[in-house]
Amino acid sequence: MATKAAPNRTVRFRIKRCDGPGKPSYWHEFDVVPEKNANVISCLKQIAEHPVTASGQKVSPPVWDSGCLEEVCGACTMVVNGKVRQTCTCLVDVYAPNNGDTITLEPMSKFPVVRDLWVDRQRLFHNLTRIKGWVPIDNTYALGPGPKESPEKQQVRYKLSECMSCGCCLEACPQFQLETNESKWDDAFIGANAISQVRYFNEHQTGKQLKSDRLDTMSEKGGISDCGNAQNCVKVCPKEIPLTESIGAVGRAVTIHSIASFFSRK
Amino acid sequence: MGTEPGFFKRHHFLLRRLHSLSGIVPIGLFLVNHLLTNSTIAWGMINSRGAEGLPPSVIEQVGQSTAMRVGTFQHEVGFINNMPFLILIEIALWVSIAFHAILGVYYATSGSPNVKHYAYQDNWRYSLQRLTGYVAILYIFYHVATLRWGWTWLTPTDEPWTYERASSTLAMALRGQMTGLSAGGMAVSLFYFIGITACVYHFANGLWTAAISWGLTVSESAQKRWGYVCTGFGAALMLLAWASLIGFLTIDIDDARQVEMSKHATTAATDQNALVEHLAAAETE
Repeated sequence: MATKAAPNRTVRFRIKRCDGPGKPSYWHEFDVVPEKNANVISCLKQIAEHPVTASGQKVSPPVWDSGCLEEVCGACTMVVNGKVRQTCTCLVDVYAPNNGDTITLEPMSKFPVVRDLWVDRQRLFHNLTRIKGWVPIDNTYALGPGPKESPEKQQVRYKLSECMSCGCCLEACPQFQLETNESKWDDAFIGANAISQVRYFNEHQTGKQLKSDRLDTMSEKGGISDCGNAQNCVKVCPKEIPLTESIGAVGRAVTIHSIASFFSRK
Repeated sequence: MGTEPGFFKRHHFLLRRLHSLSGIVPIGLFLVNHLLTNSTIAWGMINSRGAEGLPPSVIEQVGQSTAMRVGTFQHEVGFINNMPFLILIEIALWVSIAFHAILGVYYATSGSPNVKHYAYQDNWRYSLQRLTGYVAILYIFYHVATLRWGWTWLTPTDEPWTYERASSTLAMALRGQMTGLSAGGMAVSLFYFIGITACVYHFANGLWTAAISWGLTVSESAQKRWGYVCTGFGAALMLLAWASLIGFLTIDIDDARQVEMSKHATTAATDQNALVEHLAAAETE
């Protein structure tokens, strides 16, 4: 991307801070002279090195989570200028090209804050266990080759497999809400990523052994019927996973599954 | 801890799907029918049989167009009011609307619209679907209470709507006075415009989302194609809705009364003739 960012400019970072779970939030502003080709994480490192606010107050260094720094782990997902995205690929030259430009950083609002910009995404992984997001195999003896996979289905599944469980689709979803009470997780809306994983595993020749269980979960409270079709998920997905197609596909599977089980369930 | 989950939790999925279905059948189906009927007050002017049975003197007095518009609408309303078990059909509709409305509010309040930060077209439609739902509840309640149950609460005149004089009493209920609009009539007419627009949007957009929920449209291009169909269908319904409103706002109430009165006179006469013939036939047997 050809950007013309002013050299040696100062960028103001507005950071929403929180000292710990359940504690109130407050804002701090920091001025940073970004390095060449800086991203938000590298600026956060500069701030942490020298945690003095724009008004000269020395504060504790801001806390955040990050991992791969190449947009495949999802750990550094935050709300940047009101919109969710990974911060490692959020280039400061693009977001703040001029002297005095501001970048606002907030933690995701749909997960409990651990501290500052760091959230606990445990519920997201819990939701993958709700839908049995695995291929069941008995590892105790040699099973021989598995069933053949068609190239067409491989193509579909490959795209779905790119999900890194970052949480963007959940943050942008008007139907997915913050739930700090773990005992309520199983009844709360599961969200687009898990629905897409239902399709991913049900399309797999061995994975589909658990198809019925997954569709049962999808037809419970918090399952696919709680989707409101706002379709923000597909627009904010950094991997451009066709989440709304997955919602349509699982919707169809659940329709057939529920009619079939009405007539055949014992 | 071993407790049986409640009714709403056990039947969560079924209730969701019934909510979706009830919006299409019977409510949506009724809406289409209702708009087709009401818009005859506008397109009745091209119905060649609209002025049938009216004395030429009346047609001459009120004009061909008014005679055909009022005549057609009166004919349609008469047809509906002569349907067998009408009250059962009505109760089924009221129950469906109440079911759809109550669950709809419950579902809508579980979401948190966020168009401020995610101003995508689809997200706007999501928010509008909920907003138009709330508007539709208020509007339909007012509409049914005042025009069907005869409540005079918040009406511009005390004259109730009656199916025997369908056009003129409806025009009065909308406009509040014989010519032009009273202040109350203006408020009611505006509320009708907002209300019917909200209902049509809610139905057309609901058809689009229902197709995803039920799994009819899976691929993005299928969703897009079905979107065009729903937009076209919605636009056509919107035209019918607005045409109905314009029709009742433009009809001459005095002329409409003339048409309705002579229409009843002819119907009564026809009924009387039929009775006389029937009795005569019985006598000869």
